[in-house]
Amino acid sequence: MTVSTLLEAGVVACAVYLCVVYGIYLSLLAVAIVESRQRRLETEADDHDTIAHSRFLPPVSVLVPAHNEVGGLPDAVRSLLALEYPEFEVIVISDGSTDGTVERLRDEFELMPVELSSRAVVATEPVGAVFRSHAERRLVVLDKRGGGKADALNVGLNYCRYRFVCGVDADMVFARDALSRAMCAFLSDPAQVVGLTSFVEIAENPASALRGVEYRIPDSRPFLLFQTLDYLRAFFNNRIAWSRLGFMLCAVGAFQVWRRELLDELGGWSREFTCEDIELTFRVHRVLQERGEPYRVLCLPDRIGVTEGPDTIGKLVAQRERWQRVILETWWANRRMCFNRRYGRVGMLGMPFYLASEIVAPAFELLAAATLVVGAALGLVDWWLFALVLLLISLVNSGFSSASLLMVERQSGAYRPTGLLRLLALMPVEILVYRPVLSWARMKGTWRFLRGDKAWHKFERNVRTEPA
Amino acid sequence: MDGRTMLVLGCVIAGSVWASGGCAVLLFRLRSRRRRSSGSSHTVGDLRLHGPIGLHAAPLRVSTSHAGSLVGLAEADDLEARELLRRGLWSSQPEVRRASVTALGQLACRHEWAVDGLIEALAEQRDTPARVAAQLDRVAPRADARLTPLLGHPSDVVRYHAARLLSRDDGGHRAVPDLTSDPSPHVRSAALSALESNPTGSGLRRAFQLLHDPDPLVRAQACRTASAISGLSAAPLVAPLLADTSWDVREAARAALVGAGSRAVPIVLPLLEDVDSTLRSLAALVLQDVGVVDDLLASGSDPRLLERISEAGGQRLRALAEDRTRRGGALGASHPVAGAGP
Repeated sequence: MTVSTLLEAGVVACAVYLCVVYGIYLSLLAVAIVESRQRRLETEADDHDTIAHSRFLPPVSVLVPAHNEVGGLPDAVRSLLALEYPEFEVIVISDGSTDGTVERLRDEFELMPVELSSRAVVATEPVGAVFRSHAERRLVVLDKRGGGKADALNVGLNYCRYRFVCGVDADMVFARDALSRAMCAFLSDPAQVVGLTSFVEIAENPASALRGVEYRIPDSRPFLLFQTLDYLRAFFNNRIAWSRLGFMLCAVGAFQVWRRELLDELGGWSREFTCEDIELTFRVHRVLQERGEPYRVLCLPDRIGVTEGPDTIGKLVAQRERWQRVILETWWANRRMCFNRRYGRVGMLGMPFYLASEIVAPAFELLAAATLVVGAALGLVDWWLFALVLLLISLVNSGFSSASLLMVERQSGAYRPTGLLRLLALMPVEILVYRPVLSWARMKGTWRFLRGDKAWHKFERNVRTEPA
Repeated sequence: MDGRTMLVLGCVIAGSVWASGGCAVLLFRLRSRRRRSSGSSHTVGDLRLHGPIGLHAAPLRVSTSHAGSLVGLAEADDLEARELLRRGLWSSQPEVRRASVTALGQLACRHEWAVDGLIEALAEQRDTPARVAAQLDRVAPRADARLTPLLGHPSDVVRYHAARLLSRDDGGHRAVPDLTSDPSPHVRSAALSALESNPTGSGLRRAFQLLHDPDPLVRAQACRTASAISGLSAAPLVAPLLADTSWDVREAARAALVGAGSRAVPIVLPLLEDVDSTLRSLAALVLQDVGVVDDLLASGSDPRLLERISEAGGQRLRALAEDRTRRGGALGASHPVAGAGP
């Protein structure tokens, strides 16, 4: 077998893989369009203001795990306390912070040390101090020994009073209607909906991107705009479709609402994985499918807030390699569900989707890169043909991105006109300047997974305020 | 066709999709801006033209995004619009049913027939009961007489919402307390909460009985109701629930005792010696929340009692009180219920 035959085989394998993946994405896009339209019609028909202020909405405990988040946490807490929702509590869990997070909160919100009773449903690292705000009774701050994000969420679960639990990220700033929109979805099917997530926007500085109810999005920097496109596709082309098809496998850590009794039964968030959010969602599906209970996990198209996006390539790689690792860890831990009829659509559609689009993707990316390098070295590459293929992939990607942009525009119309134009203009070049970074991060994540690395590798926050 | 031509063709198709997607985004933005600047584009007159088409050809498609217009039509007492709303409630499309409920909710402030429509929607569960109930809550107490028959509805979801609608802070309906014997714990709990706004001796006795209900949801509500009605006199009966098997009930009992303030102290103090460690520690928490620990620390009057509380609730309880006192934020008369529940 000659080198050129091997290269040809490599090219054919990559082409077949690409066709399969794009075929899957196209099918998901069609489903997402139907689901998005349905949700929009329901939103238009709803009297959200009346529902949002109604005593018939169930109370919610909002958990905010934070590790060294002194820069953004006060903004996040303020935006949470400003939520338009009849009854809720905010529990901030400082997970071994050493940057003065607790002191800052203590000053800003007049925290007072008290003892509170814990439900003690999940074993966790010990809690050193408990504070309740003098100024705002709904705010509780727990200062605990470092044990990771999952452990912090479990501490919050032990202390929460209400039957619905909303886990959020400490670097987020929330829209005033975030919780009411989410809980309205619970009301729509109270017997079956056990958990949900919703669309999260991205910006370099969330606090300045969201002032009151007005958004200043998308961010103007191209690096953040590429991430915006990435988020749009992830939520509008994929998760909305998964939600419709019954295999919503990733309730994102930035905003996830669950029934407390389900979390209690499952033993809360797992500390065994690099990240906790995707693993919990997989576990919920696995357990409820095994029990044969009817249930739904939803992803809503409503924009519930703005999270902080990495502002440098290094930070982005650190974040995405961690995501790749946790996807691999979670998929591997639940691999028996794949192509297993017992797990319904999760086993027959969701797991294979992850296998095709996430698990084996780095292998094909590596194969494509190797084929190109070897082919170029041997002078076997037809550069015109290569350019045409690249252009085709780039335009297909742009087609998917513009479809998701159209869906988000129809849903909310919150983007600034200049932002819309920038996003549209950047779509075709995304594959040249942004995707290679993601491919590198995925390969790195896969390598670290194979080596058994489970560290968080947290990236530095984009500095917003001086530490106290 | 060779591979290269196919690739070029693919590029043209994909490029067209991207370009049309982009144009659609921009056109949609322009259209919505124009719509915003000219106010509502769905005028009443506009719907008058579409209404009959909706009724006869494509039933009620029009009403989904025209809930506002339907309200406008019905305001003009248009019988056709009433018919549209009535049929909308029975549509097979959930968004049409929801639009009808929204329109009825807006009309219910002025029209009794709209209130009747909402009650029908609740009884027949044409939309999420909580959504319909939120609309009916806006017109309380006008709907009370018509809601009362729903207390005997076969569905516990409907009975629950009817009971909650009929129990308000400004006085609940007399029939609701009868539901404290309902088979559904949710309905029993809603009925108990109704007793708070319509307190009677028999109601209080019932609340005391339900402190021993098999369902924790009911026991927790019974704690709240009993303490809301009779305050301190409920404390001796509520206090043992600090040792309940359910955390929610223990928390409700703690909040009820804290709500009684320093008057509950003589009832709570003996619990510090109880054999049950959960009860001892929660009793100590109650004493913290009503300000006893901080007061003892500040006055130095009874170091033995302070030691007993610390033993029951843990030494951290005392350390926290010292911290509060040092920082000038002691719990006491001005902030007696800092740790209280809802």
